[in-house]
Amino acid sequence: MRPVAMAGLLLALALALPGSAAQDPAVHVLEQGEFVPDDRRLPPPEDAPWEPVTLPDNWFLSHPATRAGWYRLAFELAPESAALPHSVYLPRNTASRIDFFFNGQRQGGNAAYGDPGTRNFAPPLILTVPSPLLRPGRNVLHVRVVAVPGIRQGLTRVVLVERHWGRPLYELRYAIQVLMLLLFGAAALLCAVLAASFWLRERNDAVLLWLAITAFAWAAAAFPGLHAAFTPREFFHGPLAFSVRFAYVAPMLVLCLRVAGKRWPLREGALWVFTIAGLALACFLDEDREGGLITCWSATYLGALAALLVVLIRSRQHGRRWTSWPLLGALGAAVLLNAHDFAWWMGWIDYDSFQLAHFHIPLVLFAIGATIIDRHFQAFAEVGRAKAELEGRVAEKAREIEASYARVEEAEREKALAGERKRIMADIHDGLGSSLVGLLGAVQSGRASLPEVERRLHDALQELRLAVDALEPTDGDLNVILGNVRHRMRAAIESSGVHFRWQVGEVPQLDSLTPGAVLAIERIVLEALTNSLRHASARLVTVTTQLDGSWLQIGVSDDGIGFDEASIVPGRGLESLRRRARALGGEVEIRSSLGAGTSVTLRLPFERSSVSPVRMA
Amino acid sequence: MEAASGTAPVTRVALVEDDREARARLAASIRSQRSLQLVAEYATGAEALAGLESVAPEVLLVDLGLPDISGLDVVRFAASRHPDCDILVVSIFGDEANVLAALEAGAHGYLLKGSLQRDIVLDIRDIRNGGSPLSPIIARQVLKRLQAPSREPLAAEAEADTTLTPRESEILNAISRGFSYAETAVMLGISVGTVHTFLKRIYRKLAVHSKTEAVFEANRLGLIR
Repeated sequence: MRPVAMAGLLLALALALPGSAAQDPAVHVLEQGEFVPDDRRLPPPEDAPWEPVTLPDNWFLSHPATRAGWYRLAFELAPESAALPHSVYLPRNTASRIDFFFNGQRQGGNAAYGDPGTRNFAPPLILTVPSPLLRPGRNVLHVRVVAVPGIRQGLTRVVLVERHWGRPLYELRYAIQVLMLLLFGAAALLCAVLAASFWLRERNDAVLLWLAITAFAWAAAAFPGLHAAFTPREFFHGPLAFSVRFAYVAPMLVLCLRVAGKRWPLREGALWVFTIAGLALACFLDEDREGGLITCWSATYLGALAALLVVLIRSRQHGRRWTSWPLLGALGAAVLLNAHDFAWWMGWIDYDSFQLAHFHIPLVLFAIGATIIDRHFQAFAEVGRAKAELEGRVAEKAREIEASYARVEEAEREKALAGERKRIMADIHDGLGSSLVGLLGAVQSGRASLPEVERRLHDALQELRLAVDALEPTDGDLNVILGNVRHRMRAAIESSGVHFRWQVGEVPQLDSLTPGAVLAIERIVLEALTNSLRHASARLVTVTTQLDGSWLQIGVSDDGIGFDEASIVPGRGLESLRRRARALGGEVEIRSSLGAGTSVTLRLPFERSSVSPVRMA
Repeated sequence: MEAASGTAPVTRVALVEDDREARARLAASIRSQRSLQLVAEYATGAEALAGLESVAPEVLLVDLGLPDISGLDVVRFAASRHPDCDILVVSIFGDEANVLAALEAGAHGYLLKGSLQRDIVLDIRDIRNGGSPLSPIIARQVLKRLQAPSREPLAAEAEADTTLTPRESEILNAISRGFSYAETAVMLGISVGTVHTFLKRIYRKLAVHSKTEAVFEANRLGLIR
């Protein structure tokens, strides 16, 4: 073991110092000396029961019952070297108290673990030795150590070097063992905050919560400054600082299980009980007995990590669950690192070696983060594929709907065309056809006079023109429709000599007026007007429009001779007015009495909102 | 009609109609009025174009369905050759498509074929008085056509020449709602003569508008460079 330890130490020296410092005779690695258990404050006399000892000295192994003792170490200094200030360097500062006496004179020591903030990481120790304390030739160094054997305290090798070489040596070890872990701790804290904030937004992803808890637990352990700021000093030095080192055990293992898609409530519960009971127990144990707890904890954690690794590898082989290579790699590294530290703890490897177990946590956290991110990307890709597929289907559906809509539209259009054709046929049959047939009969029988024939032909032409007008675009503007009737009857009105009053106000457009409805309205108004002009002997004819609730009223009234409503003979044209109005969904009201004129009112339903239901039935 | 006769100056009328009977009837109607004088009758478009070089009627009646060329060509020719001549197209139905095309070609109104004789005379009297009656349907179409600004500004002056002023729009709006010229005049507080003046201006805008549209279309199609 010794050559290996020496090689490691020299490698550290080589890394830290330029040139061939490692071979320099000014580097004194003190490994041989004498030890005496003694709790006095000053170096024991020469005749004390000194016994030979080899450094490093792990008290747990060499004298577990001792609480305080003295080391005596001798070294030779060349005269030119003795004139220079030196440093005394310990790879690990793990004792409750260490005091150095050079040639009988005290030269400082550690201050209760040195920097309390870095205690958990086993920091190195360095101390300056001024040149007046040293002398050429043989020097004697007494080291007083107060230690707790149960938690593996003791004394490492003591390295004495010229001061300008000692500092880099210390800083290299400090950077690896302390600074790096502090940085990882800060990163873990950030990771915890991120994971927690993600979890707050996505509560159903428990892995995020476990990641946050684990990262925070480790940040607390790795960043003692954090809890030092919140806990009383005496407490910090006591059980809490100790126990937070293992607070991450349960959440970490649970997290790994969850990432691997495992849920073992019983085993998880046991882990929690183990961790929490350990934390509670730690508060009641003295430092010496905490050692047993740590042994138990470390062994269980190591075993659990190894078991987890096996479980994940097997589940990967069976292909049931997806487990990422980074996670397996990190867990593998975790097993090795923890095994290394466990071996150190048990005293199986060199006492001065680095403590490495802490490094597995950043690795595992990183691997889990990578796994989660990878899964999210996979989920994104999955969503993207699903979206593309869905869009494709939607587009296909849209095309189908569009096609069927086009078919429906085409069918509708054909239906409308057929309906319109039918209507025009009916119009020709009822209107022009019957007029011409009647006229033909009258001419054939010789009953009709020439002016009568001319008048009836004229009416037939009028009929035809209205039918053509009804096909013009009016956009449902009833004003235009009424105006057109007046326009077509202009000659008749002017030649009749009646006074004509046009009291037509703005009426709303009836958007859905079909040509058939337009023609029906025009015919009704035309017929009412013609009756007034031809038969009523009127002096005044008035056309009005009026809005009455949801009815639109068109009125044609005269001051002519009128007729007795009771004696009205059906079929005198008035009945056809009523029939046409009903076909429009409206009604016609005819009021007349002898000598009091006639008024015809066409009432059409309309909706104030927008479209009108006025349609040909 | 009595109102149109008497001491009123005689109006010289020319006639383009291919149907012999219809032509004879129209001619008879015109001849029956002392206030009207028939100065020329043409049976084809070619005859009309040739004859109208020398003859300058005050009123020209044109049938749109001529055997050789379109009646619209005769209208166009006469409108440019005799700007003061009132042109009436003769139509069976007075339907919107034909009448609007005739108005755009430069006509000022239309006569219904088969009207009673007295109606034809009434229409000629109207057009001499200022303008033939515009049907509400056509008034509405004109309103729509001239009110909407051109899709692209062709030229600023052309634009100003072809869009309706608010007053013109009011007049067209009243006519499209069936009011007579007299009623329109009362409603707007102007004289009937002013209504006629406005209508003539509207007809001119319609003709200019159609030409501008044609130029625009030609430009668009790359026919004019």
